[in-house]
Amino acid sequence: MLLLCFSAATVCFANEAVGANADQKKLGDESDGSRAHPTHLIPLFYENDNGEKGEKITPDDELLLPFSTRWTCGECHSYGIIGKGWHFNATDPNVAPGRPGQPWILADARTGTQIPLSYRRWPGTFKPEQLGLTPRAFTKLFGRHTPGGGAGELETEDPDEIMRQFISGKLEINCLSCHNAHPGQNQGGMGGYAVQIARENFRWAAAGACEFASVSGSATDMPETYDPFMPEPVRDKIPPTISYREDAFDRENQVFFDILREVPAHRCYFCHSNLYLDKKHAEKWSSDEDVHLKAGLTCVDCHRNGIDHKIIRGYESEDTVLRNPLVATSSCEGCHLGDKYSSSPVAGRLGAPVPEHPGIPPVHFEKLTCTACHSGPWPSQKTHLTKTSRAHRLGTLNVNKSHDVLPHIISPVFAKQPNGKITPHKLLWPAFWGSLKGQDVTPIALEIVRQTAGKVIAKEKLPLSGNWPALTAEHITEVLTLLSSQKSIKGEPVYISGGKLYSLDDSAKLCEEEHQSAKPYLWPIGHNVRPAAQSLGVRYCTDCHATDAPFFFGDVTVDSPIVAAREAKKMIEFQGISPSYAWAFAFSFVFRPFMKFICLGSCAVLAGVLLLYALKLLACVAKALTERD
Amino acid sequence: MFQTISIVAFAVTFGCMVLNCVISPCKECWRHPLRKLVHLFTLLFIEQKLSPVGVLRKVVYLLAMLCFVILAVTGFYPTIILGEHISGYLVMVHATFAPIFAICLAILAVMWARRCRFAYSDWPWFQRTVQRVTLVKSAGEQAQCESSGLGQKITFWLIIFLALPLILSIILSMFPLFGTHWQELLLSTHRYTALVFALVVIVHTYLVIRTKMQE
Repeated sequence: MLLLCFSAATVCFANEAVGANADQKKLGDESDGSRAHPTHLIPLFYENDNGEKGEKITPDDELLLPFSTRWTCGECHSYGIIGKGWHFNATDPNVAPGRPGQPWILADARTGTQIPLSYRRWPGTFKPEQLGLTPRAFTKLFGRHTPGGGAGELETEDPDEIMRQFISGKLEINCLSCHNAHPGQNQGGMGGYAVQIARENFRWAAAGACEFASVSGSATDMPETYDPFMPEPVRDKIPPTISYREDAFDRENQVFFDILREVPAHRCYFCHSNLYLDKKHAEKWSSDEDVHLKAGLTCVDCHRNGIDHKIIRGYESEDTVLRNPLVATSSCEGCHLGDKYSSSPVAGRLGAPVPEHPGIPPVHFEKLTCTACHSGPWPSQKTHLTKTSRAHRLGTLNVNKSHDVLPHIISPVFAKQPNGKITPHKLLWPAFWGSLKGQDVTPIALEIVRQTAGKVIAKEKLPLSGNWPALTAEHITEVLTLLSSQKSIKGEPVYISGGKLYSLDDSAKLCEEEHQSAKPYLWPIGHNVRPAAQSLGVRYCTDCHATDAPFFFGDVTVDSPIVAAREAKKMIEFQGISPSYAWAFAFSFVFRPFMKFICLGSCAVLAGVLLLYALKLLACVAKALTERD
Repeated sequence: MFQTISIVAFAVTFGCMVLNCVISPCKECWRHPLRKLVHLFTLLFIEQKLSPVGVLRKVVYLLAMLCFVILAVTGFYPTIILGEHISGYLVMVHATFAPIFAICLAILAVMWARRCRFAYSDWPWFQRTVQRVTLVKSAGEQAQCESSGLGQKITFWLIIFLALPLILSIILSMFPLFGTHWQELLLSTHRYTALVFALVVIVHTYLVIRTKMQE
């Protein structure tokens, strides 16, 4: 009994110690106020096989291991606190999802799949595990465009993966992905971060991407018995191995990191680039960057965070989900118009001009977000295919540069947000094989789909461009029939594509219907912000209020592997506005100049009459006064 | 705020008109009420005896009344009944009839101004004051009693006067001249001017009807 009490007390004290440690600020957690860049000349530490802090790395070590950011950077910065930041907390179910953002997109032309995934609770996205993707598989697929952490650090629950995770290690937060100012930081190039992740060299990825180390070999090739802490040669295979540049270490075996607190924009661009495939501006040199960057700002001037890395995303009403003192003044409105509840004037931060909006009726500010007129590509009669870093692996090796490559992201789509305001969006039409139970459609695991749909679609020629294969109703019928015979699938097999749900009726005939699960996934466009002189409405109201204006009547491509289903919808169908009303309202602008002319003319007549009789009154008064004299 | 002010203003105006009917009842109206109503209804038609200008004047007046009713309903229904800004098809109807109303007002101003100019006889008390101040005998006719058209004249000139800010406030906001703050100010000006304008038109119409009933 005494022993039990003693044990409990020990645990209690230990927990207190952990709590105290967590609360304790480290050297780099709080600034002393100096705006100068601190010099990061620091020792490197690796993580040992127990997941604890290892020894200091020296170039003379018998076995060179990759430095661990958790233990190297974590010497002065609270890794645990940083890990709760927006870029790393997607897998935490307690984190408020906030406004829907760009999902990860699993695209596979061979199975007719293009599905938005996210660990966040964004309506319209699916959890990776619903498609049979473990966090580890997810990391291998998409970790290339993450700064580590999140799914990459989850302990695997799959017994088959435990040994593989021991070999590859966890994908720690890679502080250098964002904060390394050295041009040698290699995110997407040969042997860089993306390559290391594709090779499952998670433990080596951060080190392998920095300028003073290089990694060879692949954890994927290693047998399950391989121990990276006591490596033995593997026949015909190269185990993951790191080498540090000789001159990287000083006499005290410390290494200089060229760290910037304010992340340079080109680091953000690695994961946040967009390419709008407009015929005129499909090349980088022919399109302009965001006007804020050109004005001298960087991304982190607006998207700020403290040590907790809870970065401001910069949308309206973000203050309801994020406790950041600057959140209210860091949105478009916050910077340009200020916070009306603030005790001191905050408009015009960072030199933001306070917009006048001459001639724009105030109702526009109730019905539209700032980005509706100021962000994204200028709307044209047909939406553009759009590439993003994360969806299309931009900036990594062997990228398919074809315009038609999957996934097909469509933009700009002017759609109504849940807050009732119209804003430009990127759009993805989900396409996947699922099972229907009640009204819910659950995606079928990709492995099963590959074994069924993959075989049927494999008969078709896959375009080299990476586009969809040309599927027909017969293909869909054949695959659905095959899936129906799969006992592992609970519910009715269906195919979702192009906004429709395809299923087989009782006579095994293919039928289609509109369905909630087939609705497109949209996420708002924040950038690039165009200059005021290129905003919608700058020329005249008919930029939007014309009977053929793309804002209301542009064509939104309906994307589908089924050739017969490829069509277009009108933009207005996404805005919750009656098309006939919008058309009639737009048509009324034809008469707007006449109305102005008539009203001004009438005013002139009215003013003339008033003036005339006012003068007559004056004459009467003058006459009366004259008679007095 | 505007909703409350509008409701109160309309209630007070209609209340005053009822009070006026009670305090100063139109005896002629109650003698042959049905005949009077028929007579009132026939006023909507164009009399054959009218000259072409008279016909134009009447047509324009009737058209202006129709436009006013449509503009008042489309303008005040959403604000007073629904408690929201005018939008959708109501805006389009409102904007369609507004220029017609403006033209009618301009024509009526030209055609009625002379008839509605103030004479000394409209203001006997004023005339007496002027005489006392200037020590000049009246050049015009000595009015024996207060003119019955005074109210109509005042409301007419108020209508003409209020029409200017009413029209200009909304038309100027359509030009790229004023920023958001001024746009909001112009909209408020339009809103409150429209309220006063509507009340004046209602009073004017009441006085016209009362005069016609007494004929």
